[in-house]
Amino acid sequence: MYQLKICHLYPDLLNTYGDMGNILALKRRAQWRNIDVSVTNVTIGDSFDSEEYDIVFLGGGQDYEQEIIQKDVLTQKGTEIKNAVEGSKVFLCICGGYQLMGKYYKTWDGKELEYLGAIDLWTIGSKERMIGNIVFESELISDNGSPLKIVGFENHSGRTYLGESVRPLGKVLFGNGNNGTDGFEGAVYKNVYCSYSHGSLLPKNPLLADHLISLALKQKYDKFDGLNQLEDAFENAARFTMIQRILK
Amino acid sequence: MNFRKIFTIILSKLTIRILRILKKGGTTLPGKVAFKLYPDILKSIAKDFEVIMVTGTNGKTTTSRIIEEILKNNNVDYITNKSGANLLSGITTTFIQAVSPLGKPKHKTALIESDEAAFNQVTKHLQPKSVVVTNFFRDQLDRYGELYSTLNAVKSGLDRLDEKTTLILNADDSMCASLGHETEKPVFYYGFGEAASQQNSENINTDAMFCIFCKGKYQYKNHVYGHLGGFYCPECGYSRPAADLECIGIQEAGSSYTTIKWKCSKALSADEAEHTTRINLPGLYNVYNAMAAATCGLSLAYSHETVQKSMESFECGFGRMETINVGDKSIKLILVKNPTGFNQVLNFLTLDSQPLNIAFLINDKLADGTDISWLWDVDFEHLNTASDRIVNLITSGIRGEDMAVRLKYSGLDTKKIRIIKDYHRVIDEGLKAVADGGCFYILPTYTAMLDIRGILKKKFNLKEFWK
Repeated sequence: MYQLKICHLYPDLLNTYGDMGNILALKRRAQWRNIDVSVTNVTIGDSFDSEEYDIVFLGGGQDYEQEIIQKDVLTQKGTEIKNAVEGSKVFLCICGGYQLMGKYYKTWDGKELEYLGAIDLWTIGSKERMIGNIVFESELISDNGSPLKIVGFENHSGRTYLGESVRPLGKVLFGNGNNGTDGFEGAVYKNVYCSYSHGSLLPKNPLLADHLISLALKQKYDKFDGLNQLEDAFENAARFTMIQRILK
Repeated sequence: MNFRKIFTIILSKLTIRILRILKKGGTTLPGKVAFKLYPDILKSIAKDFEVIMVTGTNGKTTTSRIIEEILKNNNVDYITNKSGANLLSGITTTFIQAVSPLGKPKHKTALIESDEAAFNQVTKHLQPKSVVVTNFFRDQLDRYGELYSTLNAVKSGLDRLDEKTTLILNADDSMCASLGHETEKPVFYYGFGEAASQQNSENINTDAMFCIFCKGKYQYKNHVYGHLGGFYCPECGYSRPAADLECIGIQEAGSSYTTIKWKCSKALSADEAEHTTRINLPGLYNVYNAMAAATCGLSLAYSHETVQKSMESFECGFGRMETINVGDKSIKLILVKNPTGFNQVLNFLTLDSQPLNIAFLINDKLADGTDISWLWDVDFEHLNTASDRIVNLITSGIRGEDMAVRLKYSGLDTKKIRIIKDYHRVIDEGLKAVADGGCFYILPTYTAMLDIRGILKKKFNLKEFWK
């Protein structure tokens, strides 16, 4: 029996936009395949040893909450997170969590906040928020041989730019994505997956959820030979309805 | 004689008439027209009224309706805005309807429900005598931005008001209660006493876990639900203020009523005796609504007797919990719009011992919130505690498919979950699955409620909602 250990970082603080949905998707899709799965909450003051986990999740938060975790994440957990990233640990980072993995956040009035610097990307604040449904296409994940169309909802004022070692997660078909100008959404570095699509990203995009689960199990078990298929009628209906509505 | 004002009133009244004849409701457009013609129209009309305002995230409508009952029981003639016309334009329409073409008021009292994000705008035009603030929860963040910006906007709205304005605040909500901190205005608080809510445990996914003044982590003596309860900050000492009206015990909590024991402080009322009152609505959140309204009524010096009578006798607001009888069966329509309210509804549905037939109608139009991620913050997992009583779960609305995904991932039996997009079929199939004497619960978001109510109205002869 395979085992999957998920770490939810700062669940009490970075949880603004239905981030539990991503944890639930990983958990249920593992359970439905009889994979033994556990979710551990790690927050301010708790020790974080990345060796104990197979997938680490960082959600989004409001400015107020992000200010609160700032010190803990930089001084207490920062080195461990960076080592885990370089060691190819699987991460999913959404919205505020995505920005936090980068080098810095420059507010619209010029103040520069130092972030983790685990990935070569940076964010510049803007007065205008980019809010709405988003569809993007990722060549990193195959949907019957075609790039996977991923559906989500974005709500961010920061504009994120990627350094040379970082690939975007996908190409924007509708919406703003990373910065509203270069046409890309999200970031992938080693096994770290970042996106501005919050809330129900994984439940509604089950192939992406399975991709992360597979990556994690591949790391852990030499003999891992892939996941069996699940019945995804509701998930696909939710995704297709939005793709049709948005891209028509 | 201000001809511009008279012209504006007459033209707006005419717009209301025409829209009513066209059966368009006409609650917001006339107000918009009026502002274009005369930006000071609301200020100029409303100054002749004694205004009571109700704002906050959850419970505005129910609280307003109970206050309305208190006014009725005291023979006060009043005007009020119903049917969710609680933005600046809707409130303006309400006032224009209430005056003669020359701008003379027909009544002296106005009970106004204001959207929390619009409150700051509205108080530029109104000078209320009392303001009731119910609570702050995350709600439609795509529209409001961040929760703290909503709180700050309400605070700026209150700061604008003169020092005689009485504030009625929720003591158990650290955000709401902070509005009473360092203000010169008279403040009355309402809340649950420690003994009334000791059984409730902590919920990790809540708003406001950290002190609004110093960012220390709150500790709690008791939890009611969400972030509501006996909070205190060990670092700066900010804590739940003493409540002037306090629920000291829940005697009985049924699926359609709650019996509470409560008492008042000397500051609020001469009557400090303990009272037992049966509120004709289930759920702790309705106890808050009743307490908010009662505190408002007592602060306006209405008698204990009429206040208590009103808590016991009020009818429910539009779609908040309407019951429609269909032969031996009934339909209950309950509006859902954010995680905390939804959780409370699920809570009392599982309290019942009847079979559960529920339809979830989820839209993502502007008035619902275009982001439906909040469904993942609702504790649908709680339905598993009643899984053997669940007969039929229908999901519908524009985002009915997403709702089905949410229910599936909560671990419920997918064989009981069906996506039905057509509302006529939702009603027919829902009722069909209910046994005689049973109830079919329909839980819609705001615009889905307008739609389903329109169909139910035709089918079963309901009242027009603006009456």
